[in-house]
Amino acid sequence: MNRESAIAAIMDVIDKDDIVVATTGLISREIFEKFDSARNFYNPGAMGLVSSIGLGIALGSDRRVIVIDGDSSLLMNLGTLVTIGKCQPRNLLHIVIDNESYGSCSEEESMSGSVSLSKLAATANYASSLTVFDESSLKHAILESEGRLGFIVTKITLGGRRDFSRPLDLVSIKDRFTRHLKGWPS
Amino acid sequence: MNNSHFNNLEKPHSSVAGKLRQALIEEGIDFSVGVPCGVLRRVIDFLAHDERIMHITVNREPEAIGVAAGAYLAGKKPVIYIQNSGLFTASNDISSLLIPYRMPLVLIVSLRGCEGEDAPQHFVNGKATMPLLESFGIPYVVFEQDNDIYDVVRNLYRRAEDAQLPAVLLLKRGWDKT
Repeated sequence: MNRESAIAAIMDVIDKDDIVVATTGLISREIFEKFDSARNFYNPGAMGLVSSIGLGIALGSDRRVIVIDGDSSLLMNLGTLVTIGKCQPRNLLHIVIDNESYGSCSEEESMSGSVSLSKLAATANYASSLTVFDESSLKHAILESEGRLGFIVTKITLGGRRDFSRPLDLVSIKDRFTRHLKGWPS
Repeated sequence: MNNSHFNNLEKPHSSVAGKLRQALIEEGIDFSVGVPCGVLRRVIDFLAHDERIMHITVNREPEAIGVAAGAYLAGKKPVIYIQNSGLFTASNDISSLLIPYRMPLVLIVSLRGCEGEDAPQHFVNGKATMPLLESFGIPYVVFEQDNDIYDVVRNLYRRAEDAQLPAVLLLKRGWDKT
């Protein structure tokens, strides 16, 4: 599995009513270019905070929130696991796309290879937590974790396209997202 | 829920803390998130114990910015509380999330390191806080006790909304003495 096939698997299996919150760098840019939608929110700058943003959305909304995090991003904001585990939002699924590197930089090694992120999440009281290595397991895990606070580490290989466009008109992205959550026409 | 100790704050709307609370309630605040500071004790007291307000605690200030941003996106009206030391910790999250996405959230920030400060670790942050906010180009106000905090807060919210930018209320130690 690589970043492209992992993202495609997630976007294929989640419900049309689900919200997608994507982490900084290539993950946001790939989703923006291929799967842009009013239900998406991108976090291009506040490194590590995608799960915190997703938690805030999940607490303020009934919609299922799919956080698409990265390993380095999560490691920058590890306290988030404790916060989310304590809040226990049943409508939050925290997916970590894990290439054991700062893939959006120059693929410098991260530290996710020396720790079990899924064990950390389980210790922090996520209701379900597991690591997957292929697309069908990933899809199955997404469907299985519905209705409870879930955590899925998705191990991928390094590499892939890097020449994606960037989300630039952030205010329009925000406005259409908030309208979407209110059920207003975009 | 045991409301006894915030009821003590509720009665005297003449107290500074009571007026701050009243201003926040009238602004429709229904969500709060932050990291504690002793200077903000009375703010945290009423945010954490008011049934109209969902209160979330976090471990570090950037998390507070992210959670508040998410709650705002979901239609909540959040307020953030942190110490100015944490304002520096969260500065990238304000400058690269709240500002470019134009989220008019108010942060209540204790201002350590101003006149009368005895703890040397706060001296640099105290001097650098206002220049940081100036450089971000966001509205802020330092509350002085001869002002009416109700008016100060309501005015700060108007400035945040007019500019569509986050805004900061700075509270010095002793702000709530009256």
